[in-house]
Amino acid sequence: MIRLALASLLNRKASAWLTILAIAVSTLLLLGVERVRHQTQENFANTISGTDLIVGARTGNTQLLLSSVFHIGALSNTLSWQSYQHLQGLRGVAWHIPIALGDSFGEFPVVATSTDFFEYFRYADRQALIFAQGDSFDDAQTAVLGAEVAKRRQLKLGDKFTISHGSGGISFSDHDAHPFKVSGILERTGTPVDQAVYIPLSGLGQVHGESVRDTTHENEHAHDHEHTHEHSHEPPVYTFSAVLLGLSSRPLALRMQRDINTYQGEPLTAIMPGMALTELWRTLNLFEKALLAVSTLVVATGLLGMLTALLSSLRERRREMAVLRAVGAGPVTIFGLLVSEALILAMVGVGIGIGMLYLIIGVGGDALLANTGILLRATPLTTTEWSFLAAIILAALILSFIPAWRAYRNALADGLTIRV
Amino acid sequence: MTGTCIELKNLEFQWPGATRPLLSIPQFNVQQGERVLLRGASGSGKSTLLSLIAGIHAPAKNQLHVLEHDMGKLSQRQRDKLRANEIGYIFQQFNLLPYLTAVANVSLAAKFSPARRRRVNEISPHHSEHAKELLLQLGLDKGDLSRPAHQLSVGQQQRVAAARALFGSPALIIADEPTSALDADHRDNFIQVLFNACQQHNTTLLFVTHDGSLAHHFERSIELNEINQATLGHI
Repeated sequence: MIRLALASLLNRKASAWLTILAIAVSTLLLLGVERVRHQTQENFANTISGTDLIVGARTGNTQLLLSSVFHIGALSNTLSWQSYQHLQGLRGVAWHIPIALGDSFGEFPVVATSTDFFEYFRYADRQALIFAQGDSFDDAQTAVLGAEVAKRRQLKLGDKFTISHGSGGISFSDHDAHPFKVSGILERTGTPVDQAVYIPLSGLGQVHGESVRDTTHENEHAHDHEHTHEHSHEPPVYTFSAVLLGLSSRPLALRMQRDINTYQGEPLTAIMPGMALTELWRTLNLFEKALLAVSTLVVATGLLGMLTALLSSLRERRREMAVLRAVGAGPVTIFGLLVSEALILAMVGVGIGIGMLYLIIGVGGDALLANTGILLRATPLTTTEWSFLAAIILAALILSFIPAWRAYRNALADGLTIRV
Repeated sequence: MTGTCIELKNLEFQWPGATRPLLSIPQFNVQQGERVLLRGASGSGKSTLLSLIAGIHAPAKNQLHVLEHDMGKLSQRQRDKLRANEIGYIFQQFNLLPYLTAVANVSLAAKFSPARRRRVNEISPHHSEHAKELLLQLGLDKGDLSRPAHQLSVGQQQRVAAARALFGSPALIIADEPTSALDADHRDNFIQVLFNACQQHNTTLLFVTHDGSLAHHFERSIELNEINQATLGHI
């Protein structure tokens, strides 16, 4: 019967392929949305680990999280060297990583930080950063590249490059006078770390010290106020975007968060990455649901297209049915034939949809990552994805009962009379 | 082989909602191996009688026996099975699934019938080989065997239909105006070929037509109007 259904479908190739295509595309969309949702969450959760608090100038929790860790969006406010000093001095702080953002190397963000970053930063399951080649900064003119940056820009150890002011794309103020030399390249992590260039704070200070008279920098250095330095040497930079803090004991985080949030010297925000992420998901939840609803509707459209194609084919196939009846096919067989056809269409459609998903991830994954920062991996289908696919096929099966029942009734009524 | 193939006794049939019976036949028998021409004008109840014999519609009990089965007692499924196993049916035209080849159309007959499969297996384990033999026997060219049915001429299609009806040696072949779409030359030729094949397989043939000029081909020729009292009463 399957062979017969196949042959009959092949006879209606054009409409069969269109139906399959509609189902394939809708499957692709549904799987794609689910995969983006799932893997983005996973990627986000994997990006930072072990950091107990992120501190920045007074701003939204989500904004601070996104810009400091994911390099998405920009922080309009900065925190001062003084505040950084204060944070370092807090009891229970095990380590601290300063982060100054705002410059870029092509499309990649430049993160000015200290060597502590390579020592203390953890991602995924408390994994440390590993140098694939070279080592941390030697002096102010050296830089460490994320794996993706090195690969895309084809930079090797010892190569020199210049960064520009402003984030991303074309900048009118390039810091050409201060080239950086690659001192190390990090192992791939699958997180935004791969997409960034790391320079020492002193390097950033030199670059910006050079251009401090530039009018575009007035704002940035506006609160270059006279503070009393606890240290004898000049700070490498005066302002930071954020500071990552690791605490000696985790439960300290809650109290310290409150202390920082009420710090008198300057309005500050401290967030716990895990909680900020949860908050972010809650914000995005509605959006995700809407996306999922839309893709479910697209799947429904695809299946309704199949229903239409099968129903409209019935009229021209009455002759076919009469012939089948004549050679002894019962009405139940006719019913089964229609159901098999629908199942073939749905399964081939779903199969092609899966193929398209992996093809797109395989071929376009890099472009997607570069353009949107969304990392999609060609991992095997998850349970959720399988259940979506099963739902599509089940829906197709149920829908096919409509034309199958029609054909069954026709077969009984027409018998061997051929109505053309 | 002797015995009764089709036996009608006091057959009364009327469509639901009709005021009087369409068929009322006191008696009509066809012996096994016989070749019978049943002539009737259109609207005389021909098609209805054929659909009863073929088991599409059910008569009342004890009125119609086909191959010793009381068609009134069989269920829809059993009648479908009987038709699949023992009855070959040839339509006026459009007998074939246009997307299958001639050979595949012929072997289709065994698809729904274990009995036919068994009988074909006795002749040849390769169904398509046997289908080809039948087709060649019925006068198709070798080159046409694997062409899709819609590329064949009407005459060729009717031969394929006859081959399908014969495939797996059913006891009875019902031919419902199989020649009406053919011209005179092809018609006589087709009947001759069909006769030979039926003789060879000892198959009963019930040939229905409105065309009385074919009667001379048959050993027995019946006018439906003469046996059907429903029509007589009406006149």
